[in-house]
Amino acid sequence: MLSSLAVVLVRNPVRATLLLILSFLPTSFVYILLQASFVGILQILVYAGAIMMLFTFVIMMINPAPKGGEDPVMGGGPEHGSNKAGALIGLVGLVVAGFLVIPMVWQAASQVSVAAVSKPDFGSLASLSDLLFKDPANNPMTVSFELISFLILVGIIAALNFSRRKAHGGHGGHGGHAAIAVDSITTRPTKALPVLTRAPSPDRK
Amino acid sequence: MNLFSLPNCLALSLTLVLIGSYGVFRRRSLIMVLLSIEVMLNGVNLSMVSFNFFRWGTIESSHYLYMLSIGVAAVEAAVGLSMIIVLFKNYTDITRERISRLNETGAPAGDGI
Repeated sequence: MLSSLAVVLVRNPVRATLLLILSFLPTSFVYILLQASFVGILQILVYAGAIMMLFTFVIMMINPAPKGGEDPVMGGGPEHGSNKAGALIGLVGLVVAGFLVIPMVWQAASQVSVAAVSKPDFGSLASLSDLLFKDPANNPMTVSFELISFLILVGIIAALNFSRRKAHGGHGGHGGHAAIAVDSITTRPTKALPVLTRAPSPDRK
Repeated sequence: MNLFSLPNCLALSLTLVLIGSYGVFRRRSLIMVLLSIEVMLNGVNLSMVSFNFFRWGTIESSHYLYMLSIGVAAVEAAVGLSMIIVLFKNYTDITRERISRLNETGAPAGDGI
């Protein structure tokens, strides 16, 4: 929790990303305590492994040398005077909201009757896959689980399309800027690629 | 008393959501806003899984919902980061103030000739 607080407070974005990975580890321990061991493993593998690596990669790609708080590119947090006062007000508001809301939630959650786990192998991978993939013909979870993969495919296509469209717009609109961005792979014109024309060899049917 | 209980887990997740919302409202860089959104999402997932453990211990629907939400979060992070890259290549500036006046005429210094 302290490291996730530091995520939003620290100025260097690379350091913030690494702190976020650090804050994922106790969260995954909490998941494992909640008998959600597969979720805990997934938290480390997918979140800390893949998504945070994506963040780190992008940060290092667009800003290889962040310089503390003076960097205008990354907008390194509260550096002006008024901004610092605003940050202080926001922090005080956050603490007050926390002191108001958290005891309310705590009290309300204390009233909730706790039903203990009654399943013998709750949270194990076998029972989870039973939940997801048993009777796939009329199980809505199977369908929606496969729809996630379709969503990820759409996301990949969208991300590729963004970078490609920038490449073509760079040639037209921003003349001086295209010279900087031309070293990207996506700026290579597609029609300049060599067309492989191979005569069908006679020994192949 | 038992330290590991539903109120404590909910308080932890609420704290995470509050921290993330502070980051969303305070940080100027879009990357930091995305990171704060990840913190908030983490808190919400934690509350989901803890409710499932303490209240509905017969079926693991929240584990499934967790997988669904991190799938959506991965896609959102990928699309958001590619948008950030495009904006950075166009404007060399990814702060909130720059993005909020996309439509105006005042071109920044690095925006072409």
